[in-house]
Amino acid sequence: MSLGPVLFLAFFGIAAIWFGVVVFRTQSMVRSAIALLFSQTSVGAMFLVMQAEFLGVLQIMMMATEMSVMAIFMVMFMMDPGGMGKMDMTHQKRLSLRAGGIGLVAALVVIWTAGWQGPVPEVPGADEQARMLGREILGRSMFIFESAALMILTAMIAATMVAVAPQERDRP
Amino acid sequence: MSIVLVLLALAIGCYLVAVFEGWAVHGRFSLMRPAISALALLGREQILPRTPDRLFFETGPILLLVAGLLSVAVIPLAPGLIITDLAIGALFLNAALAYVLVALIMAGWGPNGAYAMVGGWRFLGQFIAYAMLIVMPITAVAMRAESLSTTQIVLSQAALWNVVYQPIGFVLFVIAALGVAWLPPIDLPTGGGDLAGGVEAEYTGARLAVWRLARLVIVVALSGATVTFYFGGWLGPWLPGWAWTALKTVAVAAAMLTLGRHLPRLREERYLAVSWKLGISLALANIFLVGVIALLVPI
Amino acid sequence: MIPELMIALSVGAALFGVGLYGALSQTNLVMILMGVELVLASALVNTVAFWRYLHPDVTAAKMYVLIVMAVMALEMAVGFGIAVARFRARGSVEMEEARELKG
Repeated sequence: MSLGPVLFLAFFGIAAIWFGVVVFRTQSMVRSAIALLFSQTSVGAMFLVMQAEFLGVLQIMMMATEMSVMAIFMVMFMMDPGGMGKMDMTHQKRLSLRAGGIGLVAALVVIWTAGWQGPVPEVPGADEQARMLGREILGRSMFIFESAALMILTAMIAATMVAVAPQERDRP
Repeated sequence: MSIVLVLLALAIGCYLVAVFEGWAVHGRFSLMRPAISALALLGREQILPRTPDRLFFETGPILLLVAGLLSVAVIPLAPGLIITDLAIGALFLNAALAYVLVALIMAGWGPNGAYAMVGGWRFLGQFIAYAMLIVMPITAVAMRAESLSTTQIVLSQAALWNVVYQPIGFVLFVIAALGVAWLPPIDLPTGGGDLAGGVEAEYTGARLAVWRLARLVIVVALSGATVTFYFGGWLGPWLPGWAWTALKTVAVAAAMLTLGRHLPRLREERYLAVSWKLGISLALANIFLVGVIALLVPI
Repeated sequence: MIPELMIALSVGAALFGVGLYGALSQTNLVMILMGVELVLASALVNTVAFWRYLHPDVTAAKMYVLIVMAVMALEMAVGFGIAVARFRARGSVEMEEARELKG
């Protein structure tokens, strides 16, 4: 056991959880989106601590874009984006708290009673990891990767089709 | 040691870029002007707008500066003269530049002003236009180098610079870089004529000084990235490596600052349409061509 | 007993709890999407932790992480597509006002 990774993991983990809680506690919608961004960035930093450099940087990069887009949708669709009106945007609070709590406790019980064994193995360097990931993507997992690409294309077309304004001639 | 040297080079580069920008905007060459205007900015009153989102208002310029500095961290000045030589440097550069968008949205939303907010959201539209065009040319560059490390990318251009090897990618990358640093003709978020300063409109005093500095850092970082990816970094005859990097970076920055001023400003929907309909197809064609050439001709 | 793994998994559990609470309690479609994003982030943390501390030689785990990231982006794209269509038709994306979707 080494102290450095433990401390950094705990720090970024607490940051991720704290920002995740802020998402649902703040009134301002843009703040909420940016808090989610920083929660995801902390998750990316945890990947970096766990020596998954490529995935960590990818997570940090992708989330910046996604959450900024989320922010503008929040401003577009919420009745009170600035949070000045102190509106209550929640329902079935007790049920949700209970569900979230049960999920958390169940997962924690499983984690802390499972008894993971063994010495922590060493991982190869970042360049070797990138090479291995490339071989995996274009080798054994190529079919999965290609179907993911097809899935993205389908979702793009579907989302655009759903979102475009209906034309005059489409109306019955 | 190399951190200090790189930061010193960055400071000198920023000052030179500021001098060039003053020359391009005001038409007079003055070595003292940036220092004088920085001192003037620091001395001025700092006005807070009414009911701001204080957190975002203060964080915006600082986040912009951090994003710029992080993107400088993976640009090599000479063999070994680099802050961190990451194995995935090119991807890291993209990740750092993505936070420019976050900083602009924060700075646009924070001051609770109409012009600033329009500027911030405009930059989101601009981002969606340039995002693909900055990633896909880098993919082609990394394909030739067979590595994402910036040092490897420079070394791969020993026989032929990438600007000759993949000119389509170079043109696309420069257009996207103009968008990242919101230089004219794509300076929508601050557009002087129609937004009265846009995102910068509500910033005064020391905050504006930090903002301007961060923007200069981003311009230098993008010129450095262009040099690394397309002009062969430190490679060149006669002079030592760092001198070549410095010369090329300043030349690219000067070109980026001056050339666009002679074009009319691009509206954001036009920029979006051009970069998605034309730019992405060209970028894909570029990746395909580079792949075929790399397979057939070993240079 | 591997302390790093325990910490990472606990963070994953906490993110899952927070995300589940958010997805169930919020009334707005966009906020519900945010809760789902948190749940998916917890899945990512767990996968990377298992890869690092139990099976660093299995690269397929990282492949799985890439697929989950793609799913995160797709979920947002499709969710926003539905939100735009709903907003066009009804002028709001509040869940309380979507009772006609009940079977």
